[in-house]
Amino acid sequence: MRDLMRLPGARLIQHALLAFAAWAVLMWVNGSVDELTNYYLALIAMYATAMFGMVILVGLSGQVSLGNGALMAIGGYIFALTTLNWQYIPLTSIPMNGVWAMLFAAIGGVVFGLVIGLLGARLTGPYLAGLTLGIAVGIPAIANRFPGLFGGETGLQLTVPYPDGGYPAVAEASGEQFVTELPTSQDALPSAGASAGAGDLLTSDNFPSGDASALPSVAPGDLLTADNFPSADPSAMASVAPGDLLTVDNFPSAGATPEASSLDVSVLDPSTGTGTDGVDLGFVLERWEASLAIAVACIVGFIALNLVRGRQGRVWRAVRDDPVAAAVSGISPAGSKVTAFMVSSVFASLAGAVFVQILAYVGPGAFGLGLSLSLLVGIVLGGRSSLVGAVIGAVLLVWLPEFVLGLAGDRGWDEQVTNNAPNLIYGLLVVLVVLVAPGGIVGTLQALVGRIFKRTARSG
Amino acid sequence: MTQFLDYVLGGIGSGAIIALMALALVLTWRATRVVNFAQVGQAMFTTFIALSIQTLTGSWFIALIGAIVAGAILGVIVQYLVLRPVKRMDTSGAIIATFGVLIALQAAAGMIWGGDSQAYPQPFSNTAISLFGREWPLSVYDLVVIGFAGVLVVGLTLLFTRTSLGLSMRATAFNPEVARLSGVRVGRTLTIGWALAGVVGAVAGVLVAPTSAISPNSFDILLVFAFTAAVIGGLDSLIGAVALGIGTGLILSVVSGYSDSSNAPVVALVLLALNLAIKPEGIFGHNSARSV
Repeated sequence: MRDLMRLPGARLIQHALLAFAAWAVLMWVNGSVDELTNYYLALIAMYATAMFGMVILVGLSGQVSLGNGALMAIGGYIFALTTLNWQYIPLTSIPMNGVWAMLFAAIGGVVFGLVIGLLGARLTGPYLAGLTLGIAVGIPAIANRFPGLFGGETGLQLTVPYPDGGYPAVAEASGEQFVTELPTSQDALPSAGASAGAGDLLTSDNFPSGDASALPSVAPGDLLTADNFPSADPSAMASVAPGDLLTVDNFPSAGATPEASSLDVSVLDPSTGTGTDGVDLGFVLERWEASLAIAVACIVGFIALNLVRGRQGRVWRAVRDDPVAAAVSGISPAGSKVTAFMVSSVFASLAGAVFVQILAYVGPGAFGLGLSLSLLVGIVLGGRSSLVGAVIGAVLLVWLPEFVLGLAGDRGWDEQVTNNAPNLIYGLLVVLVVLVAPGGIVGTLQALVGRIFKRTARSG
Repeated sequence: MTQFLDYVLGGIGSGAIIALMALALVLTWRATRVVNFAQVGQAMFTTFIALSIQTLTGSWFIALIGAIVAGAILGVIVQYLVLRPVKRMDTSGAIIATFGVLIALQAAAGMIWGGDSQAYPQPFSNTAISLFGREWPLSVYDLVVIGFAGVLVVGLTLLFTRTSLGLSMRATAFNPEVARLSGVRVGRTLTIGWALAGVVGAVAGVLVAPTSAISPNSFDILLVFAFTAAVIGGLDSLIGAVALGIGTGLILSVVSGYSDSSNAPVVALVLLALNLAIKPEGIFGHNSARSV
């Protein structure tokens, strides 16, 4: 068995199994918990994705950066702009979908990571922190500069889940949208629609024509959307936005004006969406968000695991601990720092692309200095140089505000106090952790376990 | 051309405030080799205290005194409780700790005074002065701000060059070990450095508050401007911080005048990036920002 581990690629397989196991467990959780928990799960997975990059940059490479919130903004804006403006990938006839948009976001992350890395690689300590602080404040300000392209202060609304276009997005800037209710009025019910109750989703099965051959373009059981509805007359679709689900309520009546389709509606990779077989349960937006965020987090976590535990991880640690010794050993310190920037930038961009899909919105307000500081708080509390610490930090970031909110509800605290209590706790905890336990939760636990084992080894 | 000169003159007031904040950053850097990213948080907090005193007493001057005292105390507290213990450890830890203080101070201010922007009363006339038959882009208040900045800079220069405290502060900044061997009480000197920085930051906060409303986050952008000025000035040099602070104010004023004030952060970022790419040690600086 030990020899087996020495085979080339054995570690890769080990990490792949680990990531797959994590994905499987999380997807099981995803399917069994309610909407609100799924929403939190999505946020945790999104934070973890970004913080894997922070672990590599701050923990392993030793560069304190506040720019990752801004890099998330870059990923988010690229995702939003490509999905909103392109129906096809330019110069090709490949239809755009969410997966492509995420890929573009990642490419943008590489480019910006390279630029910031080249600027930052020669800088140390406070200079780097100050430069990235400027980036964290400056890049969201660019969105305000070009309101035509970036939507200015109000930002851009997204229709999510973008690629299958299967759901009328109730986009709210606050992101506090937990339950999306279906309309319940019965006004526009088609006369023949007796087989469907009010508010029911129309599928090819309960469609009230009684004749399955009337729906040649749709497989049985598929959701009917404004796009696959087999009507010959596009003007009949006017009451429904392209891509919206048809319900018995918004079913189009004749005589309205047509509207051009601006959204492409190809189908998302079924592994990340709920797919078309979730009809009887109904489509739960939060579940879809969580499954997307979990998939991205597991892929990113797999890459991070390979980098951290492989050769590149040792290179980063060597440069952090002693740049001169590393240079003598043939490592380029600047090169390794730029690599760390690029990797963390790609992770941040992907997290940003997931974030805007969770919010159904992209705007400068969501990516302020506060987000960058949150990421820093998360990895410091969890453990600066540990991927597990990043996950713990992500859980803390999402859980603590809810915990405080619960406490406040019980004790009847002022709203002013409740809103600021989590940040006060974060700030004090960060100072305390730096002073008392620089390794964070994971580092402290490791030290504790190590001490216990040492003691038992000595006594035994 | 006159328009250009007007924009330049109009930037002196804000430049003086950026210069004061940059000065505070340089003071802490010289004392402990730590850039205190919580400096604007401390300034914001003391300005809120000043606002409370102002509403109680109605006196702008008493409020300013209150802010100065609070600034000194807060500087000592932060240095004594946070930075002194961290100093033994890595620089990353110290930087992260100052950000922790910033987050905590902003949250505490939000708890006590609320998250909304509040207006700070304007003690002097803020309308343009009419003199020699034309309107100048300066107000009485701008002149007061410039006056305060000048007095502080002269006072600090005298302190550093003419007093024994200043001598021991310079010695400590130059080489703490040798200073300790020569009988300087290094720990106390460092704490005094932080108290001084707190005072300068508090004055900057009270001076900037009437021109822009005050909220827990409203000084974030000032941190970026002040850091830009301090780094380009060399981070080690008081003169550099003042000169580049005013220079940054002028550049931002001209940029805002010809285009739009929302360009200012981006311009500051570009200035900072150019400086760090070309001459990381700054214009007036001596020590290198590079390693390896």
